[in-house]
Amino acid sequence: MVSPAIALAFLPLLLTMIIRYRYYFVLLYRAVLIRWVRDCLTGLSREERAFQYILTHATPGDAQSILDTFDHWCSKVEFISNIGPKKGKILDRLLQEHCPITVLELGTHCGYSTVRIARSLPIGARIYSVEMDERNAQVAEKIIRLAGFDEDMVELIVRPSDEVIPRLREDFGVERLDLVFMDHWKRCYLPDLQLLEGSGLLGEGSIILADNVIFPGAPNFLRHARRSGLYEVRVHRAMLEYIRGIRDGMAELTFLGIK
Amino acid sequence: MPRHKLIASESDVRIEVDEGKDNEFSLYYVEVEENSKGGKEKQATRDGKRRRERNGEVSRRRASEKRSTEMSNKRAEKKHEKHHKTTRKEGEKHRKKQRRNADEEEAEEESSKEKKNIKNERTKTLKLEDEKEKDVKKKRKKHVKNEEDDANPGKTKQKDCQDVALKEKKKKRKKPETTSESESNSDSESKDNQAVGVLGSLTPEELEKLKEAVDERKKLITTLKGKPWPMKKKLVILRESQEFVEKYEGALGKGKGRKLYAYKVMMMKKWMKFQRDLENFKTACIPWEMKIKEIESHFGSSVASYFIFLRWMYGINMILFGLTFGLVMVPEALMGKPYGSMSRKTVPREEEASAMNFAVLWDFGGYAKYSVLFYGYYNNQRAIGWLKFRMPLSYFLVGVGTVAYSYMVVIRTMARNANEEGGGDDTSFNFSWKTFTSWDYLIGNPETADNKFACITTSFKEAIVEEQESKKDDNIHLTRFLRVLANFLVLCCLAGSGYLIYFVVRRSQKFALEGLENYGWWERNEVNMVMSLLGMFCPMLFDVISTLENYHPRIALQWQLGRIFALFLGNLYTFIIALMDAIQLKRAEEEIVKKNMTIWQANLYNGTMPDNSTALPITVHPGDVPRGPCWETMVGQEFVRLIISDTMTTYITLLIGDFLRAVLVRFLNNCWCWDLEYGFPSYSEFDVSGNVLGLIFNQGMIWMGAFYAPCLPALNLLRLHVSMYLQCWAVMCCNVPQERVFKASGSSNFYMAMLLVILFLSTLPAIYTIVSIPPSFDCGPFSGKNRMLDVIQETLETDFPAWFGKVFSYASNPGLVLPFLLLLVLAIYYLQSTSKTYKRVNMELKKKLQTQNEENKKKNKLAALKTANELEQARKAGEQHSNSASDLGENTQNSEPPVSSTHTTTRPPASRGHTASGHLPGHPQQPQKNSHSNRR
Repeated sequence: MVSPAIALAFLPLLLTMIIRYRYYFVLLYRAVLIRWVRDCLTGLSREERAFQYILTHATPGDAQSILDTFDHWCSKVEFISNIGPKKGKILDRLLQEHCPITVLELGTHCGYSTVRIARSLPIGARIYSVEMDERNAQVAEKIIRLAGFDEDMVELIVRPSDEVIPRLREDFGVERLDLVFMDHWKRCYLPDLQLLEGSGLLGEGSIILADNVIFPGAPNFLRHARRSGLYEVRVHRAMLEYIRGIRDGMAELTFLGIK
Repeated sequence: MPRHKLIASESDVRIEVDEGKDNEFSLYYVEVEENSKGGKEKQATRDGKRRRERNGEVSRRRASEKRSTEMSNKRAEKKHEKHHKTTRKEGEKHRKKQRRNADEEEAEEESSKEKKNIKNERTKTLKLEDEKEKDVKKKRKKHVKNEEDDANPGKTKQKDCQDVALKEKKKKRKKPETTSESESNSDSESKDNQAVGVLGSLTPEELEKLKEAVDERKKLITTLKGKPWPMKKKLVILRESQEFVEKYEGALGKGKGRKLYAYKVMMMKKWMKFQRDLENFKTACIPWEMKIKEIESHFGSSVASYFIFLRWMYGINMILFGLTFGLVMVPEALMGKPYGSMSRKTVPREEEASAMNFAVLWDFGGYAKYSVLFYGYYNNQRAIGWLKFRMPLSYFLVGVGTVAYSYMVVIRTMARNANEEGGGDDTSFNFSWKTFTSWDYLIGNPETADNKFACITTSFKEAIVEEQESKKDDNIHLTRFLRVLANFLVLCCLAGSGYLIYFVVRRSQKFALEGLENYGWWERNEVNMVMSLLGMFCPMLFDVISTLENYHPRIALQWQLGRIFALFLGNLYTFIIALMDAIQLKRAEEEIVKKNMTIWQANLYNGTMPDNSTALPITVHPGDVPRGPCWETMVGQEFVRLIISDTMTTYITLLIGDFLRAVLVRFLNNCWCWDLEYGFPSYSEFDVSGNVLGLIFNQGMIWMGAFYAPCLPALNLLRLHVSMYLQCWAVMCCNVPQERVFKASGSSNFYMAMLLVILFLSTLPAIYTIVSIPPSFDCGPFSGKNRMLDVIQETLETDFPAWFGKVFSYASNPGLVLPFLLLLVLAIYYLQSTSKTYKRVNMELKKKLQTQNEENKKKNKLAALKTANELEQARKAGEQHSNSASDLGENTQNSEPPVSSTHTTTRPPASRGHTASGHLPGHPQQPQKNSHSNRR
């Protein structure tokens, strides 16, 4: 029988843990608990709730308004791991600098980042957006259409990314990818990167932008990118979107070409 | 060797080319001309290799001499230069060929110069000559041998002139044979004949030059570090010049002197090597030095400072251990009464059954309790063994001596460290300090270096922000409030932990009264457990709270240390207060036992007396004799238990908190949904402050308890030894470098001060118990005395002659002691005030230096401006001049114009470097800017 005094001695440890990892607890609460409760209450998925909110609050056809409403919903109402406004700025800057013609997006989720990329692309550019989940893809399509982007601009592919990448050339006639934006399962970053390398779609100067490389983190991906010598790696340090105090980063890989 | 040489000389050539092509060309030309004209030097050169080596040097020097004359007719020279380039190429070809030759002909070296001349003069006839030379070589080999045979035995007294002259003769004799084939033979021979007289004076000149060259190389080696060259080049030059020096240093002396010199040089080298080896050996002798260095390179000096501190502590404990072991434990074990002879040296009857159980021994009960390890075992016999060893006195003096020694060492170390701190803070050059001194040069691990780099960057940012904020100071109230709040929280925490320990101690007393046997392990070890756990977890909480305060990390560290210190001290003193209570209880028990003892004895005698009055005194087995509780042993036992549990907690924390965590993080990372290594659990960092404080408090406990348990220093030694290896391993194996690596230089004295405070605070209770509480009546070396101090009086009375006691009593007379104390106070006051004065003088000197510096800066600034203006004017003038003369040349290298002529005298071949390194003459605006930026 452990005496109460010894148990009490563990109190400082408990307090320390709570204080030190408070942001993670907040994240847990917002991303898991609230979602679960709402799922039970409404019977809708989180993405559908987000869509409803946007439908009622945003101006159709106005990408900026849709993004703002999304941000508001994610920070005030519920939590969805989008790229967020701050890291989105980095993305916008990259797009402005490089003006990519062909963009591959892995992990559409709700279409937030698709809208974000599409609105700053030049005319004639094209996004291939890959989403595995059927329901999410439906929501994403609606949101993309709501923002006013048609099928010529955004091609939504509802299939797992590792099936899509080898067939991009044959099925979609893609010759070269100028920008690849990764925001799907962190575990798939590395295999997908290797698939991309193998497919030959990356040319010199192609950019691969991977979100959330620090939290939740994709260490193997980063290690490979640094060690392979194929890329020039830059990690943009930032905070996790819609929540305070958790550090995160985006990795920007510039393909140097195979020598 | 020849292959090596070849490489070296080639690189030499390359460097010359790097440094100044055009100069070199012209110089070469000059030299060639000289050679072709004079031809005197032909025979003077003893070896072609050296000659070639020297070529560069000599020609450079010549060039610098020639330079001034050349300057005037430079225009004309420039025309030549084109020409030179072509000749230069040819020359290089020759050189290469020569080198090839040199490879072939190692033994005979005399001919090369000659060959060179010939080649320079007629390159066309080279092939012919080459064939002939092969014949020549063979002859010469013989000849050289002859010469050596002649020279070595007979030439000891002869001066170099004679030496050379003799050689000349020989050459003359030889020349007809050797060079007769070549066309130019006859005239060169005649010149040789004429030159014999001149040669004697020429050789020393050459030697002089060689000496100069060697000196120059030496100088180059020493100044190489500061040269703005790429590392590769530096290495090449270093190697090459070292070789050069090595080769020709020995050749400088003459005759016997040369040998002596060579011998001296060799011995010097041997000596230096020996010294280096000795140094290495010394380093190898310092225990754990390599380990600590390795850690230092991985984790920076702050982590290493902990290990150095640990080693220092180990040394001190070694001496403490030596004292207690050698003067107390061993004599008692060897010469004292053996186990079982007395009641205090025997396990009581009721405990005998369980006395050897591991659990009992682990608690330091049973046989461990009744052994030399504890106070109670020692006998109060005045002198033991054939040595008449004064055991009680020795015990007392060792107890006092260990503490005195510790005081001495700590204070001495503090004083030594105090010298290293400069007086006053240097806030005036904050950024300069940061720029030039913030790097930790001991770091050898890329990750740590990254961390350090990031740390310096952030510190710069912070400093800039601070600088800005110091001007506007808004939100000071919020910061103050947060700081107060943090301190309040910490105080709450301290009070809580204090209360918890108090509560636990009270409870344990209750348990003790009821008899510990009824309770389990948890209850018995509750106090230690709670103390260890609180000591472990509260610092973490403090750390979290301290983020509120937003202090600079160094200040934050000191606050953190102070708080942990307070916590530990509170815990320790609570523990001691509880012990005091226990002592009172034991003493009350002792009184009762004393009473019972007399009754028991009376019973014993009453029961046996009637039978036969003349019988031997009754022998009772010592285990059966009733005995007092012996509070001293109890105190010692408590301390030993505390130390053991503390050590165990430390090691278990290390294994679970660091090792297990590292293993989990490492191997679960492959199948986890977030990044464990960089994310939430991550690897642990080495907690320097916590570890240092743990060490300090551990030492404090040793000091406190060592009087009652002589085994404590031994235990501590063991603990330190194990923790040295364990922690070294744990640090290298499962910790990552700290995110904020900072240097430990400032904090070492802080630790020392803490140690001193702890030492003082830990000796207080020990002294109190020694002085004021009477010792137990039936255990320990002081049993039967009123106070432990009485042992000194006793010794004075019995072991010293009577006059000594008298003197002592006079000396301890207050009439003498008081003035002495007064004198002491006065002396301290005097020393303190003088040191203060010195400090003030130092500060003033510093200020003076600073102001002088600033003045100098201003002066320099002015001077720089002035010279810049002048330079610009000069440049304008030069431009006009060159424009007027530009019809002559398409001079792409404009480095020569008026200004650079000043430089050429010192470093002739560096013109290319000058043009590259600073456009000082060319662009007068730039240096101005540079000077500004440097200043800020």
